[in-house]
Order: sequence, then C-alpha cells, then structure tokens
Amino acid sequence: MTTVRAAQAGRAAPEQTRARYPDEEGQVERDGVRVSWARYGDREPTLLLLPAWSIIHSRQWKAQVPYLARHYRVLTFDGRGNGRSDRPPTAAAYDDDEYVADALAVLDATGTREAVLVGLSRGCRWAVELAATRPERVLGAMLLDPALPFLAPLPRERANSFDDELDSSEGWAKFNRHYWRRHYRDFLEFFASQAFSETHSTKQTEDMVGWGLETSAEALILTQLGAQPASREEMEAVLRRVRCPVLVVHGTEDQVWPHAVGAAVAELTGGTLVTVEGGGHCPQARHPVRVNLLLREFVESLGGRRR
Amino acid sequence: MRAREPDGEGYVDRDGVKLHYEVFGDGEPTLLLMPTWTIVHARFWKAQVPYLARRFRVVTYDGPGNGRSDRPLDPAPYHYEAQGRSALAVLDATGTERAVPVSLSMASQWALWLMAHRPERVLGSVFIGPSLAIAPGHTGRQQPFEEPYTSTEGWAKYNRYYWQDHYQDFLEFFFSQCFTEPHSTKPIEDAVGWGLETSPAVLLAENDAPWVDQATLRDWCAASRCPVLVIHGTKDAISPLRRAKRLAEATGGALTVLEGAGHIPLARDPVKVNLLIREFVESLPATEPA
Repeated sequence: MTTVRAAQAGRAAPEQTRARYPDEEGQVERDGVRVSWARYGDREPTLLLLPAWSIIHSRQWKAQVPYLARHYRVLTFDGRGNGRSDRPPTAAAYDDDEYVADALAVLDATGTREAVLVGLSRGCRWAVELAATRPERVLGAMLLDPALPFLAPLPRERANSFDDELDSSEGWAKFNRHYWRRHYRDFLEFFASQAFSETHSTKQTEDMVGWGLETSAEALILTQLGAQPASREEMEAVLRRVRCPVLVVHGTEDQVWPHAVGAAVAELTGGTLVTVEGGGHCPQARHPVRVNLLLREFVESLGGRRR
Repeated sequence: MRAREPDGEGYVDRDGVKLHYEVFGDGEPTLLLMPTWTIVHARFWKAQVPYLARRFRVVTYDGPGNGRSDRPLDPAPYHYEAQGRSALAVLDATGTERAVPVSLSMASQWALWLMAHRPERVLGSVFIGPSLAIAPGHTGRQQPFEEPYTSTEGWAKYNRYYWQDHYQDFLEFFFSQCFTEPHSTKPIEDAVGWGLETSPAVLLAENDAPWVDQATLRDWCAASRCPVLVIHGTKDAISPLRRAKRLAEATGGALTVLEGAGHIPLARDPVKVNLLIREFVESLPATEPA
C-alpha cells in the first residue's frame, strides 16, 4: 500500500475540478487487484461511502463529500472496474464478495475500526453483507435505492436476456452484452436516462455517461457475470441478520429498481424507510441536500453508540 | 414552494400603479434586489434571497408589468425615471433610509438614476450583466423591431409582430440566449414560466419607454460617489462585457468577470454571485455597527 498526500491548493486536476480534494489517498491491493481510496476530513465517526455499479466511480458522491467532510471523516473508494482502480480481466474478480473484501481492506488500510456505511444501488448489497457478517465494524447503514434482487418484481420491460442476441435494441433491450459491445455509449446514455428520470438532469446524465466511458464494455460485462445473490431466501437471510440501525431512501419514480425493493429492505432489516416523492434512482445526485441532511441526522441519531 | 418566505410584504401605489414588495430578514444593511425587464418578476432572485436574508435585510419588488404588480399598458410607468422613482417609493414604504441596490441587466439604468438623484440613499451598488447604452451592444441583435418580420430565426424573433404571434417561442429563444451555459434547463423553464405571467401587450408598452442615452449615463456615472461592483459573464449573449468594463471605469467601480458565464449568473452561478455580493456589502464602511 502506498499513501500519497495530496496538496490541497493549486493541485493540477486531471478531471473536473472538485469542491473538496482528499486529505489522503492510497491504494489497497488484493490478489493483484489495486483499489484506490480517498479520505476527507477527520472527525469521528467515519462514513464509508461505498461504490455502486462500476458504470460509475467514487465521484458519484461529489455532492456529499464536501458537506459531510466538514462534519465527519469520510472514506470513498473506486469500485474495481472503474475510476482509479484496476479493471481485472475475469468475472470472478467482480463477485460481490470481492467488493465486500475491498471495503474491509479499505477500512483496515485507513485504520478504521468501525464506520457508518452508505450505499447506492448495487453498493447496498455490499453494505448489507458487511453489516450482516462484520457487525463489529458497522455502526449503521444508509441504503439509497437499493438494488437487491428477488425482493420485488422488476418492471416487465427489464426482463430481456443479458446474454442472448436480441432482435430488438429498443429500451431495456440495450441492457445486453452484445449491444454493449456494439453501442456502448448509446447504452450508457439510455441507462443514464433511466437512472435520472427527474426533469433537469442533464448535468447528472452527462457525468454518468462520462464516468461510464472511463471503463469499457468488456469490464462492465464482467461486472454482470460475477457472483451475486442466488435466491430470495439467500437475500432475505442476509437482510435478517443485519442488526445495526438502517435507513433506506427510495424514490417513487425509480425506473431501475422499484420503490417496493427499498420498502422490503427496510422491513427485513427493521430499518426506517424514507420515500422520495418523484425521485429517481440516484437521489444523492438529484436530491443532494435532502440526502445529506438525512444522512447527517441518521449519523447523529447513532449518538455515542458503541463508541 | 420557496426556500424562504417573506417576513413582510405590501404594495406601494405609484401614480395608480400598484407595485408589490417583500421584505426578508432584519440584518444590516438593506439590499434592494431590483426588478429588471418585466419579462420576469422578483422570483428571479430565488437563489439569492434565502442566503442573503440570513445576513442582511433584503427587499425585493415586482416592477410594473409582472409578478404581483399591476400590468399597465401605458409606457409611462416603464420610463427609466418612473422605474427609479418606484425603487425610491419601495425604499420609503419599507422604511429604508439607505440601501445597496443590486440590479440585473437593464435595471442598471434605474440603479444609476437612484445613485445620481438620491446619492444619500445608496450605500453602494452592485450591477450584474448590465445592459445599457454606455457602450455598443452585440451586433447580431440589431434586427428590425417595428417592421413585420421576414425571418423567424434567431434575433429576428425580437420583433413586435413576432411577440404577438409566437410569444412563447420568443420567450424560449430569448432565455436560451440568457442562459448560454450548459445544463440550464431549469432556469430556462422558470424564466419562460415567469414570462408567461405577463403578455406581449405589456412588453410592447414597456418597449415604448425610452432607454437612457449615453451622454446622460456618462454624467450619472461621473457623479457617482458610492462603491460599485460590476459582475459580468464572458459568454453573455444579451449584453457584451465591454459595457460592464465601461460602467466600472466610469463609476470608478470594481469589475468581476465570470469566465464562461452567461447573462444571468445569479441563477447559474448563485454561490459565486452570493459570495461576491456579501463580500462587497461587508466591505462597505457604513455597514459597521453604530
């Protein structure tokens, strides 16, 4: 592991400028795969902002980091497959367990005994797995529009095969490995249009497409082929094992993972559900002030719990 | 729904035209956020009011022709002197002895009128995207206004008859020019909506009121004694940066140029504009507690 201290002023930005630059950055390496993390601020408790699907990377939290870092110690990392992390060439490297192990490795590397986990979409799978299996490391979990399978029916139009060649290339038929190879950017634009169903999302859409272009169709295909929960029973069992406080936030207009999924997650974990009326799949980007205040309130409600 | 509701509101009557004002906060000094072209109303300050009202007293009002003010179809209330006197009437009605006027676009003329005619009421003056005859405008905008339009493209829409025939299309075009920055869908939607709260007849009446000529502007600027801040975007497609430069020079004021900003940075770069206003206001000598 190497740690690089970033100069905060006058730093040449290889990307969009940021409202807040990391106070510390580093990498963890597991089985030859390097994952890059960043730390902002230093006030306890620590919040670990997990990656989501590798179609995006840690900049997904850009509207959270500057605010949260004024109050807490904030850790982010790029999920394997995008950002400054490696893009391993095998599907097994993208198993859910690998992301969970990366999260633990980042906690260890940064000397973080316990943290509040914040997940978005697929990242919520890794958050609940960590909370269920390593409760001593997890103070609480905030889950934004969780992408947890088997808990509620997905919209029918999402039922296309990922692996087979399809006749159609309309709508969710674009969610297909062959289509990604042929028209990756078009897929990204389609997916972003579904993720940001709110009006006035041009900036968030542009960001998502840009981050998607930082990885490749091949890497993204592998993320779909890694091991994921296999059954409703398995998914429910994990959720029922979660003992820490849980706050679920889910939009009523989420076109990617319906609101019923978030409601089920809240119920199975005994957590609280906050419904964002009219909200799409990425509330941290389209409702950042609300999400930030909810998270702050959630963290404050944990009080001195176990600390 | 607003982030900040007013603490007080009321109407002033100016020669039979009712103008609606609102007051937010009670700090010192008072900022007078002026109306501008009556194609929009006081809500265009929505990204300023909640922040500024936490520190200062903020007075906004709708000029004649939009918002909760009357919509006269006679040019007189739209004359720059009438607009200057309306600002004064709002100061009087709100018991405001001295204020910092903050003006956008063509309201720069009314702020200058106030500075020239009632200097004792003005602590300092902030101009944003000033549009006034102090220097030439964009050449591309010079299209015949009074003649039936022969083209419907671009600035040809800025035409008496086109407004009457295709008002919403004109609004959409005009605000696309105001907001040249990417990702401006929300401010454009807001502004078109405010434009639809008035009518082509009102805009035509307003259009018949004269602008201040260059020689008069120069005299007013030369007489200016208060601190001045001029803010202008490099991508302002409504009023060119040279006008802001000339205004800052003529008033001995400071110029802050916003790289890449359009005509209405207060909506597209609100944090930057709010901090600039705050910094300017806090630098004014008379704002220190008595």
